[in-house]
Amino acid sequence: MLPAGCSRRLLAELRDALDACAERQRQLERSLRVSRRLLRVWEPAEPPAPEPTPGPKTNEEAGSPARTPSPQDLKELELLTQALEKAVQVRKGLSKTGERDRASSLKSGSVASPATTASAPLHTSGRGGSQASETKPPRGIRRTTVPAKGFPEHRLLSVGDRTCMGRGARAAKPGPGLRDQQIAPSAASQSPEAFTLKEKGILLQLPMAFRKAASQNSRLWAQLSSTETGDSMDAAITAKTQFLHKMQSGWPGSGLSAAEVEREVGRLRKACSLLRLRMGEELTADPKDWMQEYRCLLTLEGLQAIAGQCLHRLQELHAAVMGQQLVPWPEGRLPSAPSFCGGGTDTIWSPQLLLYSSTQELQTLASLRLWVAMLDQQIHLEKVLMAELLPLVSTQKPRGPRWLALCRAVHSLLCEGGEHFLTILRDTPAN
Amino acid sequence: MGRRRRRVDRADAAGALPAAIAALSRTLPGGPSPETFRRAKFDRPEAAPALWRLLFCVLSPVPADGAAASPAPVAQARLVKSELRSQGYPRGSLARLPEDGSQGSRELLLALSWLLARGPLLEQLLAQTRVRLGDEMPVCECEALASPGPPAPHVEADGCVDVRHLQWLMGKLRFRWRNLIASQQEQCALLGKIHSYTRGCHSDHSLGHLSVAEAELLRDPEGGRQLLQRLESENARLEAALEWRRRELVFWQWMDTVLGACPPDASQPTFLPRIPARGASELELVAQELQALQEELRKAAEPRRAAWEARVGGWGPEWKAAQRASEEAVRQELAALQRSWEHGGGLAQPHGPHRLVRSEAGMLGGPGLPAAKVITVLRSRKACLEVALRQLQGQCRQELARLAGALPGFIWIPPPGR
Repeated sequence: MLPAGCSRRLLAELRDALDACAERQRQLERSLRVSRRLLRVWEPAEPPAPEPTPGPKTNEEAGSPARTPSPQDLKELELLTQALEKAVQVRKGLSKTGERDRASSLKSGSVASPATTASAPLHTSGRGGSQASETKPPRGIRRTTVPAKGFPEHRLLSVGDRTCMGRGARAAKPGPGLRDQQIAPSAASQSPEAFTLKEKGILLQLPMAFRKAASQNSRLWAQLSSTETGDSMDAAITAKTQFLHKMQSGWPGSGLSAAEVEREVGRLRKACSLLRLRMGEELTADPKDWMQEYRCLLTLEGLQAIAGQCLHRLQELHAAVMGQQLVPWPEGRLPSAPSFCGGGTDTIWSPQLLLYSSTQELQTLASLRLWVAMLDQQIHLEKVLMAELLPLVSTQKPRGPRWLALCRAVHSLLCEGGEHFLTILRDTPAN
Repeated sequence: MGRRRRRVDRADAAGALPAAIAALSRTLPGGPSPETFRRAKFDRPEAAPALWRLLFCVLSPVPADGAAASPAPVAQARLVKSELRSQGYPRGSLARLPEDGSQGSRELLLALSWLLARGPLLEQLLAQTRVRLGDEMPVCECEALASPGPPAPHVEADGCVDVRHLQWLMGKLRFRWRNLIASQQEQCALLGKIHSYTRGCHSDHSLGHLSVAEAELLRDPEGGRQLLQRLESENARLEAALEWRRRELVFWQWMDTVLGACPPDASQPTFLPRIPARGASELELVAQELQALQEELRKAAEPRRAAWEARVGGWGPEWKAAQRASEEAVRQELAALQRSWEHGGGLAQPHGPHRLVRSEAGMLGGPGLPAAKVITVLRSRKACLEVALRQLQGQCRQELARLAGALPGFIWIPPPGR
C-alpha cells in the first residue's frame, strides 16, 4: 500500500488524465455519429410513423411487402443498388479505376435539363460538363423547393434518376413511398432514389438564407479581427489605460498575478525542452573541422548560460508566489501541457483555412496532434510519478519481497511506460 | 469648473452613452439589461444578482451553454472572486462583498470594466461560443488545454491504494489513447469522403466543398433552421461588438465618474493565508528539470573547453578574426532560440482553430495553411517530446539501478529490447 498522501495525489493526477482523455473521446464520438449518418442513406430527421397499410406500389422482390423496410433492409438494398450501378458503369466503360470522384463530378455535369422548378442552374464543378452530356443521356434530376416550416428557401433534391432505375434499381426499390418521404415529402409521386452523399452529394446546394448569413458572418469576423483604428478608437485606448491606472492606484502594485506566474512558468518549461533539444542536436553532431568544434563548444556554453537565466527567473517567480500568497493552477486547471505556439497573443478570431490534399495527409496530421497531446500528458505523469514513487523506493527499509514487488512495479511504471516488466532473480550462491 | 464638466458629461450621456451601453449589453453573453449598468453606478442592490451572473459567465472556464445548470449564487460569487484574484484584480473591496450575491453592484461594474479595459474580452467571449460551420482542427494544443473545463469533483474517499491500482489506471489510460487514435483515424476518413463527395457545392469558392455541419443542415432541415438562428444571433452580437468599438470612448469617460464616486479602496485585499501547494510543486518540477539540464550542459562543455584551450595556445591573428565571427554567429543563433519562447514566440508557429479544406494537390497555394507545414512542426515537436520522455525514463532507470545495486544477492534482468 502506498501512503495516503501519495495515493491521493497520484489518483487525482491519473483521474485528471483519464477524464481529459474521455472528454476527447466523447467529442470525437459525437462527430463520428454525425459523419457516419451523413454517409449513410439520408433518412428523415424524425422517423415516419410506420404505415399500417402498404402503399400502392408494393415491392414484390423485397420479400416482405407488408412491412416498412427496416434500416438494415434499406442498407442492404442500397448496397445492392450500388453494386448493380457499378456493374453497369463498368460495362459502359465509364468508370476507369481510380477515377470515381471524377466520374461522379461528370454526372453532375450532365444535368443539362432540370425538369421543373430548377430555374437556378445547379452548381457544377465546372469541369467537362459538355463532354459528359455527350457521353451520357441527360438524367432527369429535378429540384424541388420544399416549403418546410420556417425555412422556406431550403431546397432538397429529389433525384428522379430514370437512367438509374432503368439500370436495375427498380428491382431494389424499397417499399411504399418511404423513400419519398425521406427525401422530398412534396415529391412523393416521383418516387425518387435514395439519397446518398456519395452518389448525389455533388448536387447539394446550401439554402440562400444560410449562405447570406454565413457570408455576413465571415465578413463580420474579419472586421472584428482587423486592426485598423480610428481616432475615436485611439482615444478609447488611452481612456482604458487611464482607467486601469486609476484602478491600480491605492494598491501597492507588487507586480505579478497568479495568471502571469502560470504563463511565465509555462514559458520556462517550454524553454527547458527547447534547450534540451538543442543540446541533443549539438552533442550528436560530428564536427568536421576546428571551427565547427569551436562553435559547438560556444553553443553548449551559451545554452548553459541561458539555462542559468531561466533558473534565476524561476527563483524570482517562486519568491513572488510565496511572498504574495499567489495560487497559480487553482483546482481544476491542469498545469500539464505547455502551449507551444505561444497562444493567446493572437488577434485573429475567425478560423483560418488549413489545406490538406488527401485523406492520408489528414490522418497523419490528426494522429500527430494526438501523439503530441499524449506525450505531453505522459511526460507530466512521469514527473509526478517520479516525484512520488522514487522517494518511496529509496526510503522503505525492509527490503523483503514487498519492497521487491514495489521496485518492480515502479520500474515498469517509470522506465517502461508500464508496458514491460523487469525480472528479479534471487541469486543464491551454491554452497 | 466641476459643474461645467458635469454638464458636458450629461450632454454626452444624453445620446451616446445609452447607445454605447446598449451595444455592450447586446455583445455580452446573456444580454444583460442596459438598465443594470445605470443602477450599478448608484450601487443599487437590485442590479447585483445580474452582474454576479454576468461576471460568472465571463470568467468561468467553460462557456456556459445555458443548457448546463449554473451553480448556486454562492458558488458563482466564489468563482468570480478567486478568478479575479488570480488575474490580479487590484481592488480589495470586491473580495469583501457578501457571497450571497445580494450586494456590490458598483464594485462588480468596476470589475467588469477592468476586465474589458485589460484586453480583448468581448472578442474572446465571442470566439468561445462561435458557431462552428467548418470542420475544424486546432493546429496546436492550446485550445485543447482550455476545453476540458473543471473536472467533475471526485469524492476523495479512497484512502490508500496499492501500486497495482496505479498500474491498472495507467493501463486504462494507454487503452483510452489507443481508442482515441483509432476513432480519430476513422473520423478523418469520413471527413475526407464527405469533403470529396460534396466537391464544388459550396458557394464560397475558397472552401469548395461542404463541411459536416453544412451537409448536416441539408440532411436535417430542423437542425438547419436552428443553426441558421444561432448564426443570425451571432451576427447580431458581432455587429453590436463592432458598434461598441466605435462608441466605447464615452463609456470609459462615464466609468471615470463611476470610479470617482467610489470610496477609495481602503486596504489591500486580504485573503485567508493558504499554502499554494500545487503551484509550488509545479515550480519545483520545472526547477529540477532546469537544474538537471544545466548540470548536463556543464558536464558536456567543461572538458571540451579544457581540451580546446590546450590546443589553441599560440594561434595567430587570423584565427582571432574567425573566432570572433563564430562567437557572433552563435550569439545570434541563441538569441533567436530564446525569442522562440519569450512573449508570443519569434517563430510564427501555426496557432488557433483552422477550417479544414480539401484541396487537390495542384491547387495548393491559395490563402491558407498547408497541412504539410503543420505536420512538419508537429513531427519535430513529437520528436522533442519523445527525447524528453526517454531522458526521464533513463534517469529513473539509473536511479533504480543505484538503489538495486545496494542490495546484493539479486539479479535484475531488464525487459528485452533495452
